[in-house]
Amino acid sequence: MKTTKIYEGSHQWIMFGRDEGKPSNIIDTNQYVVRTANRCLLLDPGGAELFAPMMAAVLHHAPVDQITDLFASHQDPDVISSLGLWDQALTNAKLHAPAVWEGFLRHYSCESIEYVPIPDNGGTIKLESVELQLIPAHYLHSSGNFHVYDPQAKILMSGDVGAALEGPDTPVFVDNFAAHVEKMRYWHQRWMPSNQAKRVWIERVRNLDIDILAPQHGRMFKGDDVKRFLDWFDALQVGIAV
Amino acid sequence: MTNQTKSQFIAVASITSELSAVMVVAKEISLAAANAKAIAFRAGDKAKGFQPITDFINELAKETIELVTNINIYALVLYRLTVDEFQKTTAYNKFELAAKMAGDAVYAKSMQEPVDQAKLSMQDCQRQFKRDVSQLLGQLEAVMHHARAARVIAANSRIEASQAGEYLQSLQAVAESVDKAAHTIHDNVQRCRIALSIYRNS
Repeated sequence: MKTTKIYEGSHQWIMFGRDEGKPSNIIDTNQYVVRTANRCLLLDPGGAELFAPMMAAVLHHAPVDQITDLFASHQDPDVISSLGLWDQALTNAKLHAPAVWEGFLRHYSCESIEYVPIPDNGGTIKLESVELQLIPAHYLHSSGNFHVYDPQAKILMSGDVGAALEGPDTPVFVDNFAAHVEKMRYWHQRWMPSNQAKRVWIERVRNLDIDILAPQHGRMFKGDDVKRFLDWFDALQVGIAV
Repeated sequence: MTNQTKSQFIAVASITSELSAVMVVAKEISLAAANAKAIAFRAGDKAKGFQPITDFINELAKETIELVTNINIYALVLYRLTVDEFQKTTAYNKFELAAKMAGDAVYAKSMQEPVDQAKLSMQDCQRQFKRDVSQLLGQLEAVMHHARAARVIAANSRIEASQAGEYLQSLQAVAESVDKAAHTIHDNVQRCRIALSIYRNS
């Protein structure tokens, strides 16, 4: 599992991905961790197949008992099918996830972890002195969906928005936006169902000060590439399957 | 999923299907008993010895149905326990793998407790499963006991039927159907017992 620190300040953001041992027939994913002095939040911790390498990687940064929070942007198996395993490993943790998906996510088994439902209009996660904003991103693609914004680190974890499916040796950051566009196009056109939802999200996100846009698949965007992505996405017609 | 787990799932799931056949057959015995009662009533004194047998057959059928209903409920509990055991075993294996992959990570040792807890949970489930299998085997034995009793009654019924004059054929048909049904119940339940008994001591 490749580990990349993407922010270091009073807290840290770490990206985990490009797992060499991943079976080739399952989709590649990025997992993110926000680490404060005594707590650790896993953002979209990944599928059941990824649990062992993910846990092993996190143990380089935090002990098990300081993994206090999980966040699931939405209900997909590549986001959170490892929940049953985290549920047995963590003695005192919370799962922050969309309220609309609670009854569904509990199918992954969630007996000891406390489910903290996020209402449709969003909320926050407080991790010691760090306050993360939960930004509504409904219908992009899931009907109950949130992104995570850190105003201090200026990072937006954007779930499936900004995603591209590439090989295991892909760099972690976009280095040539024009070339990257073609890797994202079909994904966004096919998976994002609603141009209206897309416009609402872009309007919301343009008000945020973002240095890094961190999706759940593929490369992250930094600096000017963030604005390039928003402009590109704004112009793209989505929902092509109907 | 290991082969052991798969066969455990199959063994437990097969009980429900075998027992649904037993339920059907037990209800047939009940019906046969009702028929026999009607025939014995019409036969009057000629089938006097047959009449108490019909009540006994009916009682036996009811008890079998009740036993099988309870076993089905218990089998469902056992199935859920099998699923639980599978999940706990998976967790233990994944935690061990994570601990191994963590290698010399700064906080690798913190994984030991989840590994130990998972192992205990897995072993608890395995012990509970063996206890529950023993209990279920006991309940299945009770059904087989009833089936054996029914076969004895069927044999007696044939003897009584031979005294019933023109009602001989009808009553013998009843005795035959009770015997056949009891034989089926015995065989089905025996299959359940064989499938389960390997888990009692594994």
